[in-house]
Amino acid sequence: MRRSRSILTLAFWCGASVITLFPIYWLFVISAKSRADLFGRPSLLIDSVTWDNYIATLSNPVFQHYMLNSIVVATCNSLLVTTMGLLATYALSRYPLVGKENIFFWTITNRMAPPAVFLLPLFLLYTQAFTIGTWKLYDTRIGLILLYCVFNLPFAIWILRGIIDAIPKELDEAAMVDGANLWQILTRVILPVARPGLAVTAILTWVFAWNEYLFAATLTSVHARTITTGLAEFVTVTGTNWGLMAATAMLTLIPALVFLGIVQRHIVAGLTFGAVKE
Amino acid sequence: MRSQRTGWLLLAPTLVILFIFGVVPFIYVLVTSFTHWNAFASDPTPRFAGVDNYRQVVFDTQFLYSVWITLRFAFFVVVSEMVLGYFLARLMMANFPLKGFFRTIHALPLMVAPIAVGATWRLLTVPGLGPLPYLLEQVFGIDYRIGSFPNQAFITTVIMDIWHWTPLVTLTMLAALSSLPKEPFEQAQIDGANRFQIFWHITLPYLRPAILATVFIRMMDALRTVDEVWMLTGGGPAAATRYIGLYIWRVVFPKTDYGYGAAISLITLYLTIVLCWLLYVSLVARKEKKGVD
Amino acid sequence: MKRYAARTAFTAIAVMVAASAAHADFWSDAAKPYQGVTIRGVSESTPPSNYVKDVLAPAFTEATGINVEFEATSWDQMYDKAIKDMEANTGIYDFVYIEQDIIYSYLARDFLVDITQALADDPSLKAPNFDIANFTSFIDYFKDPTKSDHLFGVPMEAFVKVYLYRKDLFSDPDVQAAFKEKTGRDLAPATTHDEYREIAEFFTQWGKDNDTELWGTTVQAHSGHPSSWYEYFESVAPTFGVYNWGIDADNNYAASVANGGTMNGPKALAALEFYLGNLAFAPPESTQSTWDEVAATFAAGRTAQGLVYGENSAWIATDSSKSNVVGNVGVALPPLGEGVLAEAEGGTGYIGYYDGGAFGIPHSSKNKEAALLFLQYIGQPEVQADWAVAGARITHTATYDDPKVKEQDTKVDGYYTLMREKGPLFAGAPAYPFHAQVREATAPYFYEAIIGQITAQEALDQMAAAAEAELTQLGYRKN
Repeated sequence: MRRSRSILTLAFWCGASVITLFPIYWLFVISAKSRADLFGRPSLLIDSVTWDNYIATLSNPVFQHYMLNSIVVATCNSLLVTTMGLLATYALSRYPLVGKENIFFWTITNRMAPPAVFLLPLFLLYTQAFTIGTWKLYDTRIGLILLYCVFNLPFAIWILRGIIDAIPKELDEAAMVDGANLWQILTRVILPVARPGLAVTAILTWVFAWNEYLFAATLTSVHARTITTGLAEFVTVTGTNWGLMAATAMLTLIPALVFLGIVQRHIVAGLTFGAVKE
Repeated sequence: MRSQRTGWLLLAPTLVILFIFGVVPFIYVLVTSFTHWNAFASDPTPRFAGVDNYRQVVFDTQFLYSVWITLRFAFFVVVSEMVLGYFLARLMMANFPLKGFFRTIHALPLMVAPIAVGATWRLLTVPGLGPLPYLLEQVFGIDYRIGSFPNQAFITTVIMDIWHWTPLVTLTMLAALSSLPKEPFEQAQIDGANRFQIFWHITLPYLRPAILATVFIRMMDALRTVDEVWMLTGGGPAAATRYIGLYIWRVVFPKTDYGYGAAISLITLYLTIVLCWLLYVSLVARKEKKGVD
Repeated sequence: MKRYAARTAFTAIAVMVAASAAHADFWSDAAKPYQGVTIRGVSESTPPSNYVKDVLAPAFTEATGINVEFEATSWDQMYDKAIKDMEANTGIYDFVYIEQDIIYSYLARDFLVDITQALADDPSLKAPNFDIANFTSFIDYFKDPTKSDHLFGVPMEAFVKVYLYRKDLFSDPDVQAAFKEKTGRDLAPATTHDEYREIAEFFTQWGKDNDTELWGTTVQAHSGHPSSWYEYFESVAPTFGVYNWGIDADNNYAASVANGGTMNGPKALAALEFYLGNLAFAPPESTQSTWDEVAATFAAGRTAQGLVYGENSAWIATDSSKSNVVGNVGVALPPLGEGVLAEAEGGTGYIGYYDGGAFGIPHSSKNKEAALLFLQYIGQPEVQADWAVAGARITHTATYDDPKVKEQDTKVDGYYTLMREKGPLFAGAPAYPFHAQVREATAPYFYEAIIGQITAQEALDQMAAAAEAELTQLGYRKN
């Protein structure tokens, strides 16, 4: 009985995986077919695999540069947001701050507006206001890292709130009675229990930062360009270079997969959203 | 020593960053929404316009239509993803070989950049090039042309979104399910409750906060969808997939109508806040209710 | 005799060496004060722009010591960032790509540096081999008539949208016989719209009868992307005698017939009905096709005819890694309505779209002199031929005569010859600073017509009304 159930489940998951992977397989096909072949007829199989697009992309120093930028921006932002989010959520959870529910709700509103119109003021700020001498925040990685906090921080706070709320305040108080200071409370009481939640926060904020396009495209030029804006460059008036774009997109999956692979185990025991009460 | 001061200090970095990079631009946009400002009008300078832009929105049938189809889109997408995501998470709770492997595969769509998602689905659906039209015709006899048939395009954007974002729901639901306490379930089984009763009276209440928070986030993002749909249809056929995000994009970028673009962005923001507030209120109400138990 | 020849040859060589040495001296001399400066520009990732980025910019840096940072980005982004930069005066870019249709908007806002004036004010910057007279008439689009025709942009690419047809199909005896039998005429590239439609019908039926994936024509009819709007307004409507979108700039920018325009008049109706009617003879992907897909469709061999942008014609005809119809591509003028050719030759009309772009210098640039040198560098005759072969673009008259170009010309069935001889019959976008705004205001109705939600006449009426409303709101049309 259990065996056949296992086989059924396995069969189901194989089927589900095929559906999930089908568009990604197609992305691979686009990247590995010659253009004439691609537009010739719709064929799921590749007659002759051409690695030209991959070779061109990998050996392109610009691509390497963009990739590095993306990794730096996403990782730094993720770490920054997770840390700041933890502190902020702890404050909201444990301290009797005036209007904290309103503040809590307000943070998420930063993430609600369609971003297009906000580009102009940000462009102005980055090129004219946030400057020191001739240095501008425009076209810098730190510029993106700070900006992404605007929509990643609220996300982190909302995810972590439930988890931290679920940790009984009595534990904190017990530790304080034992003479622990704030830092020790955070690292010894909160962190171990919240670690899975922090892992989830880290990876989801990383993914959002990694995939962000609009702000990166507007607020960077040549130096701090990320890989998603690199993808958009292939879309031009005379035509879209589907093959190169697909190859780049496939290669972009790799760091994301690596990150996911590392953090994945923690996710399972992660988010609780306050579901559990003692 | 729960002094207010320590609390504010912990919160300070967050508030500072959100203020500088979030509130300041917002104020700029707010002010802009009260001006007539188009970069290529015969008078390209910003001119004070009172609430003219907002008044214009009421008569803007195109925008209102966009709001309608976006709400429709968000509804289908969020409901489908929640149901599917929950179902898949439930299945993942069981033990079967290669569980971790399948979990990774299932999370893959989340890792693909929205532009690439749109590009992939675009190439999947072009007749003569993509496999979908061919397969649909051969197997089901459907004439699949999303450039000509609005309903088909709409459905395709829904499916594309489901493909892309269900893993987010699955993962969060999985996490929530993993942390359910065992005792209530064991007790219920001893008491002879059937599956449905267990689900309705025990599982759901425990999961409600997680469910509502996920719905929240997915709904917010669905209402702002741009990149994927832009690549797939450009908003077409006609206005069938011209969701709010795309409409605003069109107004702000090629049309350079900054004043009006600001106004409709803020209206969208307000709309989203209202919808989310309604959800949030139910979340808080439930919490308080549980506290009473 | 021999001595004379030798002496001439020697002199010629000496002059050439001296000239190139003089040129080399010019670039490094003129750039001396700007050594080590970095100029930054924004453009798209098209082949001609990529050539600038990959070949010309490094060569320039080599010759002058000025660094070039070339930002290639998508179409939307390029406009958005250039406009933001120039409006806010932030000085991010030292040169920007100016597509021919946006030059009027930029001139209206006085965003660009007057190149003629700048070179007159500082002759040390004027390159000896940079001469406006070297360019084709395309350069006229970048002159400002309100400023004594001073130049504001240096052309870097230009193409015409042409009528492509399948030479192999048109010269196939079986096909010819079947066509003659069916229509009573000989099969030849269409010169009128009726002929074009007849050929399209024939080939679509031929494809069905012979069970091949062949249709009679391409239609650039993406139901959500402005490319479809452009094909109608820039390529089809003019061939029916509807010019400048049917808007009369001299008559208070009237668009509707009632107010004195021609956007919804009988000729426009004929044009739109022709365009929409072609969809029945076009492959199924047409309503999802932008300029890119149209080129790909034709290159895949799926249609017998089509209107295709010039820059794609070259690779369709020659590059077998991208095209299945290499060697079988014929180039011709688009089919024309009655009297249109006369109007075009007389200068009151035009027959199609002359596309292209230039580089210009924003007023907000902080390195105008260095940028000026760069623009002249890419505008010098010496670099044009190789650039033409790489990107199928021609901006200098002399390039047509270059052997490399002539060789490519034979492979593309005389596209360059056609562009040279008939180029003046084509025109760029009308001088409208509100180009993008009116396009966005009218496009939604156009898309509805494509999918059949409204009729052609309804679409034209609504577009005319929307155009007038937008022009009024922008302040160009007075009530």
